[in-house]
Amino acid sequence: MSLTKVSLIEVVKKQYVYKLKAYSQVFISLIFLQLLAVLFSMNGVGSMGSTVGSVEVQASYFSSDFVAAFTMLWGFITAILITTKAYRNDDFVFVANRVSSNLSNAVFLLTTSVVGGITAMLSSYLFKVIIYYFFKSTPILDAPIELLLGIFSTILYVFLFCALGYLVGTLVQISKVFTVLLPAAFFGALILEGLSGKAGTVASVFEFFFTESSLVLFIVKIIVAAGLLFSGAFVLSNRLEVRG
Amino acid sequence: MSVIECNGLTKVYGGTKALNNLSFKIEENKITGLIGRNGAGKTTLLKIIAGLLKETAGELKVFSEKPFNSLQVSANVIFLHDQMNLPTALNLKELLETAASFYPNWDRELADRLFDYFSLNPLQYYNGLSKGMKSTFNMILGLSARVPLTMLDEPTTGMDAAVRKDFYRALLKEYIAYPRTIIISSHHLNEIEDLLEDILLVNEGKEILHMPVADLKEWAIGIQGKTTVINEWTQNTEVIYTKSIGIDQSYVVVRNHFSETERQRARNAGIDITPVTSSDLCVYLTSKTKGGIDDVFNKG
Repeated sequence: MSLTKVSLIEVVKKQYVYKLKAYSQVFISLIFLQLLAVLFSMNGVGSMGSTVGSVEVQASYFSSDFVAAFTMLWGFITAILITTKAYRNDDFVFVANRVSSNLSNAVFLLTTSVVGGITAMLSSYLFKVIIYYFFKSTPILDAPIELLLGIFSTILYVFLFCALGYLVGTLVQISKVFTVLLPAAFFGALILEGLSGKAGTVASVFEFFFTESSLVLFIVKIIVAAGLLFSGAFVLSNRLEVRG
Repeated sequence: MSVIECNGLTKVYGGTKALNNLSFKIEENKITGLIGRNGAGKTTLLKIIAGLLKETAGELKVFSEKPFNSLQVSANVIFLHDQMNLPTALNLKELLETAASFYPNWDRELADRLFDYFSLNPLQYYNGLSKGMKSTFNMILGLSARVPLTMLDEPTTGMDAAVRKDFYRALLKEYIAYPRTIIISSHHLNEIEDLLEDILLVNEGKEILHMPVADLKEWAIGIQGKTTVINEWTQNTEVIYTKSIGIDQSYVVVRNHFSETERQRARNAGIDITPVTSSDLCVYLTSKTKGGIDDVFNKG
């Protein structure tokens, strides 16, 4: 029987299509998580009211910030999930090597980020419908360009969290020590900063990514950071053994 | 052309050597039986060949490439075993479709026909299958993929006698129609003996024998007679196995070095010469003590 020649791109493409089907559960968890976030946001994220004479004005703000935050968390968890043994073993049942497996995972996570980002931002329309029917008031509509910008930046944020989750998941696969070490380091730093009252590493990292006003710079920051996180995971996992 | 070339292959798992300096070659388009006791290193060897595990030391070439992280090897090898993780979200039909997309030689018609013959339900999930049905499904994957190197680890686990028979027949028919290199690891050597061309016997991570099955049948003989006579006869030969029968009789398995005249003399001395089945021989060769389980109970 003659040997078949395969190219990396070809295999990555096949694995990607396979993963869209095989990992379809993650999209179901996305729907539930976003609905939960919508429910939590129903109180409104802020409100103000004032009374002038006999006229009372009550303003409530609703935003999909909460949904976006939940989606980022979901991206992080999904990325960790697909680095676990069960998912890694799934890859190696059919044609794969570690490079193709990692690349198809990255493309899959990009897809989930796009889906997560779009649905998170479109949840603002769900708010408007709910407000219209349940609160008997007409919401103020926003400009479409803002929505597009919102979708785009949410996708990038979710992707950044996916990349972070992927590296964290890979580290945990290499040694179980990291399951304790990483959360301890994160929360430890957070608590220490809280106690000392100054902005430390965690705060400055958040500031670096979440307060960027220039769109171009923001895109560059996210892409470079995600690229670094993914390449770290690729290098680390290139020697990992699988059960198949 | 050798499909697998293996030189001094060693794999260490937390201090114990699963494979210990193993060297062998497997030629193209042969069915080789990988035989060994539990924990002999069969599965470890197959996993290293499939590129799932990385060898600790030594050299291994599959299709002249190192298998670990090789896409070419992965595309030309299929490795099926009874502890496979198949994606839980896909049903059996979808799994077959996915396999078809990965393997260019995939025979869709054969897969469908086998699937119907063994009356599997296309909407069922792999995890919901019984042990025997899992093995049956693995077999369908393995045969339909038509890859140059097919490795089946304990392919008949859980299968009933009828399905086992069907499986051996299907394997042989497929092999004749589309010759390929096949490695089967199994405990049931007597069942698969007729399928095999070569036998690779491993024990404690080392190669014990690698030879055609036909030669293995001639490799050793069993002699039985009075213990004193037998001891005299076996003084200068390699004894593989001894068993005492009754008070003064014993059965000994030795290397078959006897010439025709020697055999004749043995018969005259009252010794029975019998052939040893390959399956028994493999058990004798891989047992730790010469007397087998009897030694455990013979305290005196």
